[in-house]
Amino acid sequence: MSFAYTRREDERLLTGQGRFVADIDVPGCLSAVFVRSPVAHGRLRSVDCSPAASVPGVVGAWSAVHLTGLPACAQTAADLPDLPPIPPVLLASLSTREAVAGREWPTLATDRVRYPGEAIAVVVAEDRYQAEDGAAAVGVVIDPLPAAVTTAAALDGTVTLFEGMSNVAFEFEAGHPIDEEVWRSAAVVVEARYRQQVLLPSPMECRAFLAVPRGDALTVWCSHQMPHRLRRELAEVLGWPPGRIRVIVPDSGGAFGSKSAIFPEYVVTATLAVALGRPVRWIEDRMESLLAATRGRGQDQRVRLAAGADGRLLAYELAIDADVGAYPHLGAALPTQTARMATGPYLTPRVHATVRSVLTNTMMTYPYRGAGRPEAASALERTMDELARRLGLDPAELRRRNFIPPERFPYDTPTGRRYDSGNYAAALDLALETLGYERWRRERDRRRADPAALPLGIGLACYVERSGGEPGGLHEFGGVEACPDGTVVARCGSAAGGQSHETTFSSLVADTLGLDPARVRLIEGDTGEVPEGVGSFASRSAQIAGAALQRAARTLIDQARQRAAALWELPVHKVSWSRGTLRAESDPPAAADLGELVKETGPLRVDDRFEGAMAFPFGTHAAVVEVDVDLGTVRVLRLVAVDDCGVAINPVAVHGQALGSAVQGIGQALYEGVPFDDAGVPVLPNGLLDYLLPTIAEVPPVDIAATTTPTPVTPLGAKGAGESGCIGTPPAIVNAVADALRLADPGLLQMPLTPDVVWRAARASENARRAAAAREPGRAENAQRSGHGAHGTSGGADRSRHGADRTGRGR
Amino acid sequence: MKPPSFDYLAPGTVAEAVHALAVPGRRAEVLAGGQSLILDMRLRRTSPDVVVDINGIDELADVRVERGALLAGALARHRDFESPLVAPGPLGRLLSRAVVNVAHPPIRARGTMAGSLAWAHPASEWCAVALALDAGIELRGPAGTRVVAARDYFRGPHATARAPQELITSVRLPLLPGGTGVAFAEHRRTQFCFAQVAVAVALTVRDGVIAEARIALANCADRPLRAYAAERSLIGAEALPPGHGRAPPTRTEALPDLPPSTRTEAVPDLPPPAYGPFARAARIAAQDDADPVPEPYADVEYRRHAIAVLVARALYEATADGRAHAADDLPVGDPR
Repeated sequence: MSFAYTRREDERLLTGQGRFVADIDVPGCLSAVFVRSPVAHGRLRSVDCSPAASVPGVVGAWSAVHLTGLPACAQTAADLPDLPPIPPVLLASLSTREAVAGREWPTLATDRVRYPGEAIAVVVAEDRYQAEDGAAAVGVVIDPLPAAVTTAAALDGTVTLFEGMSNVAFEFEAGHPIDEEVWRSAAVVVEARYRQQVLLPSPMECRAFLAVPRGDALTVWCSHQMPHRLRRELAEVLGWPPGRIRVIVPDSGGAFGSKSAIFPEYVVTATLAVALGRPVRWIEDRMESLLAATRGRGQDQRVRLAAGADGRLLAYELAIDADVGAYPHLGAALPTQTARMATGPYLTPRVHATVRSVLTNTMMTYPYRGAGRPEAASALERTMDELARRLGLDPAELRRRNFIPPERFPYDTPTGRRYDSGNYAAALDLALETLGYERWRRERDRRRADPAALPLGIGLACYVERSGGEPGGLHEFGGVEACPDGTVVARCGSAAGGQSHETTFSSLVADTLGLDPARVRLIEGDTGEVPEGVGSFASRSAQIAGAALQRAARTLIDQARQRAAALWELPVHKVSWSRGTLRAESDPPAAADLGELVKETGPLRVDDRFEGAMAFPFGTHAAVVEVDVDLGTVRVLRLVAVDDCGVAINPVAVHGQALGSAVQGIGQALYEGVPFDDAGVPVLPNGLLDYLLPTIAEVPPVDIAATTTPTPVTPLGAKGAGESGCIGTPPAIVNAVADALRLADPGLLQMPLTPDVVWRAARASENARRAAAAREPGRAENAQRSGHGAHGTSGGADRSRHGADRTGRGR
Repeated sequence: MKPPSFDYLAPGTVAEAVHALAVPGRRAEVLAGGQSLILDMRLRRTSPDVVVDINGIDELADVRVERGALLAGALARHRDFESPLVAPGPLGRLLSRAVVNVAHPPIRARGTMAGSLAWAHPASEWCAVALALDAGIELRGPAGTRVVAARDYFRGPHATARAPQELITSVRLPLLPGGTGVAFAEHRRTQFCFAQVAVAVALTVRDGVIAEARIALANCADRPLRAYAAERSLIGAEALPPGHGRAPPTRTEALPDLPPSTRTEAVPDLPPPAYGPFARAARIAAQDDADPVPEPYADVEYRRHAIAVLVARALYEATADGRAHAADDLPVGDPR
């Protein structure tokens, strides 16, 4: 295929010509700023907006009392096609609406605040400075209540978020319960507990919303992943027909899942713009985003993995207590993704996963790049490495023995997924070869024999993920229109937040039509220009929207031939299409460029909708780390990411996505976490100096490679790409650190692997090794291995002792 | 993240600046590099009535050696100290090794040493270095000029002996004598965040024994600290060669198949041996001198451990530095 591999977007974005929501110049636009709860939990006694009203430039200040009639936010967001993924059989008895009922997320807090950063009041002023002056003047009185910011605290019953209702908002299971006899009779059973810490998606551009009323219409500019959905929800909020609202997504500074819903700030801003008859803009700043934007992950997991002496997996059990935040919103059923993907790439005959979605006094967890799959891969792959250690098997060999082989696809997993295609061993082999696995193993062993050497470890993670979305959201709009000037406009229902759609989709359509990509222009992210759309999430755009565009382009060729045939009074089969030109082998020969045909016969436009199916990308990530055990510092020496996303439509875009997500995976493994103070408020006073994202200095040499196993579920053979690094990289790095430390208890290493965590794990590991050596001199290694049962249980005790550090919530 | 409104003044002389700072009833802040002040103002942690921008006062940009000391004017930027030639001998080496730990290049191009001392963050590298060197901080106020010794200057997090109407005009950093080895060791979670622990060391060796020891600690208490007890424990001790007590760790350049970008990187120096004067000093610094405040991801136990590791490493590094520069530094006992 002939594609432009340099990104069309880049010249604009890299030269400062990008146009983001904050850049849209609207005369007379007002600025909205929110007053937020400084406490995690409390009774809202009073809100005094009157001092703000006298601040120069302030147009108005409102609390919930003044804005009664604003709808609750959760109701309209509960039926997102992709998430929560509630299967039809459960719809009748357990829906997200049931989880939400009685626990609605108020647009502005009324009598209770349930998370720090919850919006209490809004101030609108002529500019942002004045609006912040006004917000500082608003008086808020809250009687604090005890807060629960961990699932354990929320489950112990002392703090109730909603009177008379459980803190467990949602429960789910995938697979069938496993008979105790299976565990009793297995040669090896590994048990462990893991914490998937809460992460902040942290796009470069935080949330942004601009509402411009004009007559009886409203135009909204919003950095959003699903503009058509946002339009629908705003229409419900305003009680308007959707046709009076146009949502435009201009250039976006990233989303990573955090811009897929409607939020209180959007409802308030749109409502006020309409009420005031003036444009109102809300730009979330970084400090606000750290407190009040969506967060990801947040699971406490317990696992059991049983295997025979030959390493064949017998059973796997995963129990999840998910920290879903204060209100059951988009993330309440998100952990079902983890449960459904619990099987991973293995032939394990029995898999059972359970979910409790637990309400806590924190901002809500939502999909964040990976959305449920990283948590599944991390739990399983950490446990696989521990199993290999106990069996004395090479971790790569253990995995190879258990992979679902290529001939078994489509494969129905015990947790209810039908994997489309895969060749897991090929990805593993390529990763090992790319890394130079054997050489690194020799170096690791050499260092183990040298007490002065810095320990080195190698970690693997093999994953399967799901792309495309869930049933009900597996379709997308794609349209192609031929213009009289010979150019082609492609329309797509997706909305890019940095995923190179302009380059990839224009090239795809151009390639299908046989045109120079410069002749194709993509329009997306505009409900006024694109009749319908689902959006950009769940790694679905290339797989689903790409297929829609390809089919629309093919249909356009057919229609153009039909038109030419009618024009030339010939049968269609006599008319051929080549590189945008129609020809007929008639007498005399006829030929017309696509533009000429349109000029002669009128507008030619194909609007199409493609319905696809889920696909299951996979891969192997491998990491080599060196640990300074005295300080606990981890240095990643090498990272290899082998991903298989089927046929890559634009390999350069896929490479960029793989690299970016791997860096976010490094962030989860080593740096990112939200510490809380005793009152349950995040301790991030200096913003991104406290919430540490990896910078370029933290990026190790990364090798990105790919295997290609086409999916049969779409004509392009493309599966989703872009979330792989968040899924495969964290467990690879943690496994490498565990390997370097020869760690007997995987529970000792909880992400992020900050120096204090690693130092404590190294110390515990060293102590255990010494104790084992003392018990059985000369057989230290064996003693450690066979004595692991004791460590397994001591992990639990240790957890409570260091619980605060390990969950990242202590000070 | 927008500040409330404020007045802005840009005086052309120190006298005008001092005058602007001293208007009664008006809260003033000095703008030098603005790398901390602007953030604090945007976060509304400080809301001055007037910001006095001193960037137009040329005389404050001076950095020169005079009467046995380096005089760094209030506008000396961090990057002015990146070359070890900024001051002769060990002082220049210590400053240049400390400054690379200060934030990142864009901030170093703008931020100032005096600004760091005025802000007095407990993790500040410059505050620890000033203490290690017994620096003098020159303050100009309505009543005239005074020089406050670093040991009397720091009062707590963001709290100093400087009165609000006083301007730091310069920092006086005494030259270190020949025979002095220096080191700066810092531990932080990523390249660009605050130090969890940082240590500045200067060891002066005469006749093979330690004659003078300076150890300053950053982020090991609510303010920078001198590890006086640890320093005392070292006086008269033998200056140990590197590698004492434990073989050097394997260097990364021995790794197979490592890409060039990582091959030349320094490896953390020697882990602390369990015995010997450096180990003892490290323990004393961590247990007796330091008074760590718990932070997320660094509780007191871990902090004390990390302090011991860093102090020991810095002492070894300083010893090695002294040996490496024994020939080119000024003779012992004749520093000025």
